[in-house]
Amino acid sequence: MNQTTFRPVSLVLLAPAAILLLSLLALPIVYAIYLGFTNLQLIGPHAVNYWFTGLENVRQLLSDDVFTSSLWQTVVFVVGSGAFGATVLGLALALLMQKASGVVGKAVSGLAILAWNLPPITIAVIWYAATTSGGTFPRILGDTNHDLLYTYPMLVVSIANVWSLAGLSMIMFSAALRSIPTEMVEAAILENASATQRLFRLTLPMLKPTILMSALLMTLLTFANFTLVYLMTGGGPDNQTNILPIYSYLQGFKFHRLGYSALLGNVIVLLSSALGLAFVLIARQYRPGQVRKNKLKAMSA
Amino acid sequence: MELSAQKMAGDSAPPVARVKRRAEPVSGRLLANVILLLIGAYFMIPVLWLVVGAVDKHAGWQIQLPTLTLDNFVDALSHGNAQALWNSVIVSTIAAIVSTGAGTLAAYSFSRHRIPWKGPILLGILFLSGVPVTILIVPVYKMFARYDMLSMVPTAVLLGVTSLPFAIYLIKNTIDAIPQDLEEAACMEQAGTFRILRSIIVPLAMPGIASAAIFSFVNAWGNFLIPIVLIADQSSQPAPIAIYSFIGSATIRYGQIAAFSIIYSMPVIALYFVMSRYFKGGFSLSGAVRG
Repeated sequence: MNQTTFRPVSLVLLAPAAILLLSLLALPIVYAIYLGFTNLQLIGPHAVNYWFTGLENVRQLLSDDVFTSSLWQTVVFVVGSGAFGATVLGLALALLMQKASGVVGKAVSGLAILAWNLPPITIAVIWYAATTSGGTFPRILGDTNHDLLYTYPMLVVSIANVWSLAGLSMIMFSAALRSIPTEMVEAAILENASATQRLFRLTLPMLKPTILMSALLMTLLTFANFTLVYLMTGGGPDNQTNILPIYSYLQGFKFHRLGYSALLGNVIVLLSSALGLAFVLIARQYRPGQVRKNKLKAMSA
Repeated sequence: MELSAQKMAGDSAPPVARVKRRAEPVSGRLLANVILLLIGAYFMIPVLWLVVGAVDKHAGWQIQLPTLTLDNFVDALSHGNAQALWNSVIVSTIAAIVSTGAGTLAAYSFSRHRIPWKGPILLGILFLSGVPVTILIVPVYKMFARYDMLSMVPTAVLLGVTSLPFAIYLIKNTIDAIPQDLEEAACMEQAGTFRILRSIIVPLAMPGIASAAIFSFVNAWGNFLIPIVLIADQSSQPAPIAIYSFIGSATIRYGQIAAFSIIYSMPVIALYFVMSRYFKGGFSLSGAVRG
C-alpha cells in the first residue's frame, strides 16, 4: 500500500484538513500579521476604513510602558510557574510516590490528575474562592480578611497555574521513572550509593530528556493559559498580572484598538514560535520513539 | 502506577541489598509520606471549597460547616444555565466531529500514501498545534464579522480546527501501528480506498480516533475566550460564559457557582476515566491546547 507515486485520492483525503487548517489557522495568522500594521478599530472611525500605517504601531509598542512590563510579567509567569514550577512539582511528586506508601501516593496522584483535568474556568473559580478575602488560604494563614489575590496577584496566579499543570508533568515523570532499568538502580545500591547520590548521579541524568520535554510543554501550556489569569484578576490589580495574551485581548476588545491588539498577538506568535521550534528540535533529538511510548504508557499502568 | 514502580525497585532487589537498605527507607518513607500529604493538602484545599460550597445553603467564599441542601444544583440549572450547558454539548460535539473527521482522512493519507514534502508538512502541522489560540481572535473575529458568522456553528468549527493538528498526529500514530497485510488483501479484492478506510482502518484505529475525539471535545468544552468573542448571541453562549456571568453578577450566589462548576466539570472528568480505563494511552496530552 505504500505507494511510490502520488495519487489523486490523496488529494481528496487531505482536502478537508487542508482547507480547514489553511482557512481557520494559517490564514488568520498571516492576516493577523498584516492587521498588526494597520489602524483597525473595533468601533469608531477606523472600524471599516482602516489602512496600513507602516511602523506606527511598532513605534507605539516600543514606547508603551505597559507593554514592557507585560512582556516581563509574561516571562516571569511562563518560566517561573510553567517551565520551572510545574516541572519541579511534577518531578517531586513522581519521585516521592516511589518512596511513599502506596495509598498516600495513589491519593495524592489522583488529586493532581483531577486538578489537571478540571476545565480552566473551574480552576479559576476555585482558586479565586480560595485566595480572595474570606477564602480558605487567608484563613489558614491567620488573617481572614486579607485578600491574598489582591496583595500578591502574580504569586497567586502562578501557584494556581502550577496546581493545574503539575498532574500532567507528574504523569510524564512517572512513566520515565518506570523506564529506568532496574539493574542500574540495583547496581548503584550494591555499590553503596546513598539515596542522594542515586538521585543526582543516576535518576536525574536519566530523566534529563523528560525534564526538558516537560519544561517546554509546561511553557507552551502556560502561555496558552489565558482563561485562568483573566478570570482571576482580569490583568489587574494595577496591571500586575497583565500577561501578553490578556493585554492583547484588553487592547482589542476593551480599548477597541484591534490593530494594536493584533501586533501584540504577533509578539506572542514570535515568542511561541521560538518555543515551538525548540520543542520540535528537542523532541526530535531525544529519541522521539521513546518519548512517544512514554506518553502512551503513561495511563496504562 | 506508583505501586508497580515501587515493586520494581523493592522486590527485585537481591536480599543482600535489602538488608543494607533497611535502616534508610523507614525514615525516608515517613518523610516522603509527610511531604506528599502536604502537597496533597495543596491540591485538596481548593477543591474542598467546591464540594462543600455546592451543598451549603449559606455558602460564601470560605469553607464552613454546610447547612446541607441540594437547592444549589436545582437553581444552578435554571435561568438559561441548562441552555448554556446544552450549548456546550453542541459546540464540543461539532468540534470533535470536525477534528476527528478531517483528522482521520488526513492521517490515513499521511500514514499510507506518498505525498510530496510530507516531512515538512507534518512539521508545519506540529508547529501549528503549539500556537496559542489567543492570537487567532482578532483576525478570526474580523473574518467572521465580515461574513456574518459570529454564531455558534462557525465558532464550534474553529474550536475543532484548533485541535485538528494534534488529532492528525494522534490518529496517524495509531494507523502507523496497524499492519498493512489486511489492506493489501482488501486491495486484491478490488476494494476502493474509502471501503478500506471504512471497513479496516477506522475500526482498527478506534482507540486513537476516540482519543482524538475526546481531546477535541474536552478542549472545546473548556475554551472561554473563543466563544465569548465569536458568539454574538447571548442565548447561544456555552457554559464557561455562564460561569463568568455568575461571578460578575451583582449578587454573587456562591453555592450556585460551586454547584454549576461541578456539573460543568463532571463530563470532562468522566471522559478522562473512560479514556484511561479503556484506551490505555495517547491521552496524556489532553490539556495540550487550552485557551
